[in-house]
Amino acid sequence: MPIFLYIERPTFIHRLHPTVKVFALFVMFWSVYWVDHPLALLPLGLLMLALAEFTGAWPNFYRLRWLFILVILTTTLAWMVFYRRGPALIDLPLIHLSRASLVFGLGRGLKLAELLATSVLFLSTTKVEEFTAGLARLGVPYRLGFAITLAFRLVPLFIDSALTVVQAQNLRGYDFNRGGPLQRVKRYVPVVIPVFMGALRKANSMAMALEARGFGMSRRPTSFVEYPVEASDVAATVALFALGAAYFMIYYTGHGAISPK
Amino acid sequence: MSLDGGEATPHAAELEDVSFTYTGGERPALGRVSFIARPGEMVGVMGASGAGKSTLAKCLNRIVPEFEGGTFTGVVRIGGQPLDSTRVCEVAPRVGMVFQDFEAQLFSTNVAHEVAFAMEQVGMEREEMLRRIRPALEAVGLAGFERRDPTSLSGGEKQRLAIASVLALRPSVIVLDEPTTDLDPEGKAEVFALIRSLRGQGFSLIVIEHEAEVLRDADRLVLLREGETIAEGAPRDLMTRLDLLEECGVHPPDLNRVLVKAGIAAHAAGLDDAEAMIRRALPHLGASPALPGAVADPPSMNAADAGGAAPLAEVRALSFNYPDGPPVLDSIDLRIAPGEFVAIIGQNGSGKTTLAKHVVGLLRPTAGVVMLNGRDRAAMRPAETAAEAGYVFQNPDHQIFAATVEDEVAFGPRNFDLAPGEIRRRCEEVLRAVGLQNARALDPFLLSKGERQRLAVASVLALRPRLLILDEPTTGLDYREQRRMMALVTELNRDGIAIVMITHTPWLVAEYARRVVLMRRGRKLYDGGVREFFTRAELLASSSFRAPESTELSRRFGTVALTPDEFAAWLRAQG
Repeated sequence: MPIFLYIERPTFIHRLHPTVKVFALFVMFWSVYWVDHPLALLPLGLLMLALAEFTGAWPNFYRLRWLFILVILTTTLAWMVFYRRGPALIDLPLIHLSRASLVFGLGRGLKLAELLATSVLFLSTTKVEEFTAGLARLGVPYRLGFAITLAFRLVPLFIDSALTVVQAQNLRGYDFNRGGPLQRVKRYVPVVIPVFMGALRKANSMAMALEARGFGMSRRPTSFVEYPVEASDVAATVALFALGAAYFMIYYTGHGAISPK
Repeated sequence: MSLDGGEATPHAAELEDVSFTYTGGERPALGRVSFIARPGEMVGVMGASGAGKSTLAKCLNRIVPEFEGGTFTGVVRIGGQPLDSTRVCEVAPRVGMVFQDFEAQLFSTNVAHEVAFAMEQVGMEREEMLRRIRPALEAVGLAGFERRDPTSLSGGEKQRLAIASVLALRPSVIVLDEPTTDLDPEGKAEVFALIRSLRGQGFSLIVIEHEAEVLRDADRLVLLREGETIAEGAPRDLMTRLDLLEECGVHPPDLNRVLVKAGIAAHAAGLDDAEAMIRRALPHLGASPALPGAVADPPSMNAADAGGAAPLAEVRALSFNYPDGPPVLDSIDLRIAPGEFVAIIGQNGSGKTTLAKHVVGLLRPTAGVVMLNGRDRAAMRPAETAAEAGYVFQNPDHQIFAATVEDEVAFGPRNFDLAPGEIRRRCEEVLRAVGLQNARALDPFLLSKGERQRLAVASVLALRPRLLILDEPTTGLDYREQRRMMALVTELNRDGIAIVMITHTPWLVAEYARRVVLMRRGRKLYDGGVREFFTRAELLASSSFRAPESTELSRRFGTVALTPDEFAAWLRAQG
């Protein structure tokens, strides 16, 4: 399993300045944040699909397809349980299926899926180093930026070790699904402890290796990769401002909301 | 100052009277150790786990005592200058350090950037970085890999990349702390070839190891025991003291063992040297006669395969691939009879572990079947599988979680709802078998690596499997612990448990296994007797598996000896 989502492609989006990419991440989040109605969220979704096609990020979306489907379905269903407004179309136990609850639930599902899609797009087109560099340009201290990127590197390692631990305990006859919900949480102890201890050891080795590579010597390390600002960066920034402003206007004029009551 | 003695050049690295006790440590990890490495010199540091090798290495760049807390006394000098209160990162431009765990020392998404990483940290100008990347990659044989993702590299390549990133800072001292422990034979060979090529380029190389063989061409060796230097000298002097080396948890060079035991000489600089010495001593041996040789091959366990005993485990036309992936296993047939001792070998990615995981049901075949004791594995409950076949993972820390050693062992039997009396009986029995009967109430995390490995074996044995699969059971253990682990495995085998051992270590295969299964790219390339396997030069070469040096040497005389002692005995019989 490849550790990073990054997929190298010769598109102008890949070549954008890291700061612009981090800004794009922010604007997308911002735009999704202000609107609730599925129809208002739809253009953003379509834009993301177009970007996925253009940047060649499809393989990542394909890999995560179940996550997307799960997010949209469970959110929509969950809100049908809790959002009990509007006349019910069909009478079901627990679930309140009405036009209002469907629209609301779908909106929430889309919203989460779009936040997820934005992150996948960002990680598919941005190297970890660019992320650090982008954060640094926006004033985030180098150490903090590096810690964030390191976390991205560590997650797959921990997932890997967790899978091995689960296998080892399964072979010793361990059944994670015995007992009620509370006992089940407790039943993860034989996995959590080895993974946690392993993570501590790994973090310790990494910290040692980092310091041995001079990490911390210079407050502002130099950068091997240069990020010149190009015309496409300016154009993208303008477009992003426009998108962000447009979505704020949609919210402000009340078009993004789900019609009240 | 050390310069006062009128020496022309200061030592590249120097420890003077250094003592260090880790916080909470019972005894000093280092007790008044003095150590020097001269400019351009390659020094090997050897000793058992816990002898203080790594602590000594970490003193050289201030990880001890800056990073690892404890009580430190003494002086460390690099290029004649005391390090006193220098921070670890500030030592980086002068002392490069390469660690065992290569995964934990790579931080970037492409190879060129990885090399630049340390240079960025010290604030080097970009133009200078660009000038240095190419030569650093060329030095480690990774030129042309600039745009590759480090995670896509092999273990040997990763470790070479870690060395390149250290070289780029052009330190005067390079410290390598067990750099090949986690590598397969091919990776080991790559890294040691690189270390040899770095000699004579002005660096002082300090290499920590517990395989003496790889340090044969060091300028000087230092042997540590329990935090103290107990011997120091040229390889030709130190490596002949076989008993001392073994006592210190160091694997003595095979060739020296052959020569000493045969009463011919004491130290060989390499295979050719050893051959020449033997030919001088026993001129009548003449040129190598045709193989296979004079030593009779014991009846191969394949005999059992042909029909005879009912197999304990049987794999028929097994193929496996991950969804959308290439085949990992390609129609494998394999039968394991009761009481066998099989080594599965092959390069990383050849399918060894995947095959073994199918036997215990951790993976489901894409095609083919796995039978355990005549029953289809897929139809068996976990408890039934566990009573047939147990699997000990490579890293014991992937399964240890309990508060006491006894609880750890009891975990499996409890999961299978055995009676408390039975559980107690089994704990007793397996803890005695692995030599941990006195550690019953201890916290497993306080045990040594070797003890944790034996605990992992015990906790699987408690389920009383008739077949035990061990994945790299000796990785990360020193020679003494390796011997102890293998003595345990041999004992279990003698008691009737069939053993399947996945390993990269040639001498383990030669000395302990009775049958070899060689895997390559998901296919079974060889399945047969050990001695016969080592006569097949073309197989060895094509799978980058090496015979132990004593076996290699015996082949030059037309025989195939599996251990140094066996070859020495053969030589004595010829003399």
